[in-house]
Amino acid sequence: MNKRMRLGALVLAVAAVFVLLYAETVVVKVKTTAVRKEPKFTSAVVANLQAGAALEKTAAKDGWFQVKTKAGAAGWVHSSAIDTKKFTLTAMDKTMKTEATAGEVALASKGFNKQVEDAYKARNAAADFAAVDRMEALKALAADIEAFLKRGRLGELGGAR
Amino acid sequence: MNARPPRALPALFFVLAAALALSSCSAVQTGADVLAAQGKISEADRDSLVRTTQALRSSFDDITEEEEYYIGRAVAANILSRYKPYDNAALTRYLNVMGTAIAYASDRPETYAGYRFLALDTDEVNAMAAPGGFVFVTTGLVKLCRDEETLAAILAHEIGHVAARHGLQSIRKSRLVDAFKVIGSEAAGRLDSAELTKLTTLFEGALGDVVATIVERGYDRKFEYEADALAVAISSSTGYSPAGLTDFLAAMDQTKPAGPATGWFKTHPSAADRLARARAAIDALASPPAKLDVRTARFAEAVKGMK
Repeated sequence: MNKRMRLGALVLAVAAVFVLLYAETVVVKVKTTAVRKEPKFTSAVVANLQAGAALEKTAAKDGWFQVKTKAGAAGWVHSSAIDTKKFTLTAMDKTMKTEATAGEVALASKGFNKQVEDAYKARNAAADFAAVDRMEALKALAADIEAFLKRGRLGELGGAR
Repeated sequence: MNARPPRALPALFFVLAAALALSSCSAVQTGADVLAAQGKISEADRDSLVRTTQALRSSFDDITEEEEYYIGRAVAANILSRYKPYDNAALTRYLNVMGTAIAYASDRPETYAGYRFLALDTDEVNAMAAPGGFVFVTTGLVKLCRDEETLAAILAHEIGHVAARHGLQSIRKSRLVDAFKVIGSEAAGRLDSAELTKLTTLFEGALGDVVATIVERGYDRKFEYEADALAVAISSSTGYSPAGLTDFLAAMDQTKPAGPATGWFKTHPSAADRLARARAAIDALASPPAKLDVRTARFAEAVKGMK
């Protein structure tokens, strides 16, 4: 019990220091994403980001976040690429639960990961991971998607409504 | 008026500070790292904090994007051990370009490694989506589509399942709780071999739950209705006529086999049942887009090589 209280106090202290040092910081949760000039997928890419990259969030609009990278590039990133789990006053009353969602991005590599997949593969030879790798290589090109939408007179690619 | 004990002030400061941290997501991890780096807390304290965060994950909602991706890969590997990909580069490209464009209009356009789409070479009529965005449609199903709107509705329905994380919700809760326990037991570095074995067994069970649901048993019907509602919303916001969904369901209602149900017919609620709900969702749209000949023509071009 004492240990729990000590941990709780530590979390509060850490959260407070975090605010002083890194207010408004958000973190990329997908493998790669892009900061774009405008909040739409057809807009020009300003910077490419990888999982764990920290960004300064300055505004939100229609499912997009306006952000600034550490290198100083500014633009828009879609919210689905960003970890939006938050601290709230209510959650702070249940410190432990708040923590539960907080460390995920940085620690994701210690969950179900490549190491676990390799161990699974060794046990399950029939599972066709080579076919999955070929499927992953099928990524559609941005230019093709844009041409497809234009030719089919389809949407503006604003992302989430 | 000044009766507040001075000792409450630091606590108030902390609460306000935490409230200010609203947009910070991995505050504990980053903050803990910062403090440890500056020597303000010990490495042991940092690990202890991090371990606590891991041990308290409990539901499908706490599965990270990367974990979802690895579960999805293994589910896809199981699907691809049962079905052969349909070898048609033009159709594959068409599916991926169209599918990604449709995913962009969903509220989850980005997943850990993005969406991919593949046709499976079988007369069985079916469509499936593994967590993280691995979407499959059978050639039997594509042949039933008469235009791009119909295929778009099917892809939008599958994207809806991915966006709402329906696959992950079929994992038994006890497995997840056990897995999070193993993961939480080791704060840093690689898993030791006993932990890895245990975690691999849990992983095996978890993806088995997903495969059993999406390939064999089918989702709970409330998830199918939700995916239909998402299909109407996503396809129409991409610019497609949402009638693609009702056209498809009407066609499925007509082609229902007489014998024992297989594929789509086994894993989905009756088309007639879904049709009424889909029509109501479409009627609720203010000004749904209309079909367009140029799209129907390119669909015909994309599928013309099919047997």
